[in-house]
Amino acid sequence: MKIYKDLRIKIGLKYCGGCNPEYDRVAVAKYIEERLQGTIEFVGPEGEDIAIVLAVEGCSTACADLTAFQGMEIRIITGIEEAKGFIKEVKEREFR
Amino acid sequence: MMTAEQYEESLRRLNLVVYMFGKRVENVVDDPIIRPSMKAVAKTYELAHRPEHEDIMTATSHITGKKINRFTHIHQNTGDLVKKSKMGRLLGRETGCCFQRCVGMDALNALSIVTFDIDAEYGTEYHKRFLQYLEYVQEKDFTVDGAMTDPKGDRSLPPHKQPDPDQFIHVAEERKDGIVVRGAKAHQTGAVNSHEVIVMPTISMRAEDKDYAISFALPSDAEGITYIMGRQSCDTRKLEGGAMDQGNLLFGGHEALVVFEDVFVPWDRVFMYKEYEFSRQLVEQFAAYHRQSYACKVGVGDVIIGAAQTAAEYNGVDKASHIRDKIVEMNHLNETLYCGCIACASEGHKEPSGTYCVNILLANVHKHNVTRFPYEIARLAQDIAGGLMVTMPSERDLESPETGKWLEKYFHASPDVPTKNRMHILRLIENLTLGTAATNYLTESMHGAGSPQAQRIMITRRVNMQEKQRAAKRLCGIEDL
Repeated sequence: MKIYKDLRIKIGLKYCGGCNPEYDRVAVAKYIEERLQGTIEFVGPEGEDIAIVLAVEGCSTACADLTAFQGMEIRIITGIEEAKGFIKEVKEREFR
Repeated sequence: MMTAEQYEESLRRLNLVVYMFGKRVENVVDDPIIRPSMKAVAKTYELAHRPEHEDIMTATSHITGKKINRFTHIHQNTGDLVKKSKMGRLLGRETGCCFQRCVGMDALNALSIVTFDIDAEYGTEYHKRFLQYLEYVQEKDFTVDGAMTDPKGDRSLPPHKQPDPDQFIHVAEERKDGIVVRGAKAHQTGAVNSHEVIVMPTISMRAEDKDYAISFALPSDAEGITYIMGRQSCDTRKLEGGAMDQGNLLFGGHEALVVFEDVFVPWDRVFMYKEYEFSRQLVEQFAAYHRQSYACKVGVGDVIIGAAQTAAEYNGVDKASHIRDKIVEMNHLNETLYCGCIACASEGHKEPSGTYCVNILLANVHKHNVTRFPYEIARLAQDIAGGLMVTMPSERDLESPETGKWLEKYFHASPDVPTKNRMHILRLIENLTLGTAATNYLTESMHGAGSPQAQRIMITRRVNMQEKQRAAKRLCGIEDL
């Protein structure tokens, strides 16, 4: 029996609290996940083997508490355009 | 942390003595008048488990290091205070009403400061007791009613001169194992949705009033506590069934008169006992925290602005310049309120106990704005909605084969919008501006956490007038600096 290793990149998904978000953060996270299907796996911020922490912030204040992720690679998005940029970056990283 | 479902089940285990419309309410949780308010509190539990809200809704206990619901947290820095304000806006917008849980959080934080300060003065053990109680509340993830407002009787008389001594909660008997208390607390928001009640004095006390200078905690179903539910405008619409006329179909608030008839309190739940000189500090710091808590009205304001814009679009008037201007004004007022609750949090300070307290002047200024701006926002919403909001027939008339066709014909406005949707949004505005939710969006904004005059007194006390005069005199050459 062959055991296949899950090679998907683990992305630690961290939201801000969403007090007054300027867009639907959950929908944008889903958009990213769908476009990177098979490439990434979203895990909770406490997950193991996280390659990148993605902070989905509802506005430019970007107040999510990221102190638990010091020393880790962190990307912050505050809207759909930055989400597209993140998708592009991950695809390029995968291609390399 | 409890889930929303666990919270509801935990309430079913309470044996509360609740009266409404002259009768004992046997099943509080499922009562159609009360249940929407329970659902609003349940939202504070639900959101704490959602990844997209946990950053605001949860915190780390400074006692145990465990993850806890923020409503049981003691503020450890100004960031915690800011998150509290943001949590208020979030929940106000999610529920469109009062979610009732802030008052217990504010009582816990005020007591964390004052118990420490009493101990420093008298060598008592209140802070140790308080921390044990706090850990219990955090561990159980309880909802706590913070009870401050006594009925007060003749307002011109202090507690000890009242013809009826029970107009302020007081010690009726001191025992070896605790105290027996008697009196009542009025206007208690969320009282029958709470597991615990924390009682605090309602005004500054003098030596003659020391029997009234007490603070303690009790289980909400302790023997001798009776709840008498307050009415809200249009409350019995909740009994009609249907899915339109109550406006907010999901959530609501409630208030109650809470009577303490010779209730026993063990010593380990007593946090102030006759230290009358600390009653003013407890009142002021609790009030400051609670005035900050009116951040929730910004969230409810978001709902009413969204409803007004939707009504304008459904009526086909959203492009009119005067409508746009009114929407701008509503947003201006609402965001000004937000400025106040964020500012008093950002400018908070550390107390000797380690707890962070809001800037008391700015918290009072914020609440003072809250006594006014929601009224203007509501007025503008009614202006935009139009008179149909209060003359519209019922949902049953819309559904009736005899009358429904006429309502469909004559209440149809924008061609793309079903008549039913237009009626729904108008009912929501009615609910917020003169129905059940107006209790919380308007009159609670006026009197909750203290009436406007209470804030004006605090503004007078807290403003540094000498420094303002010095600045003015220096610039115009007056030399008595």
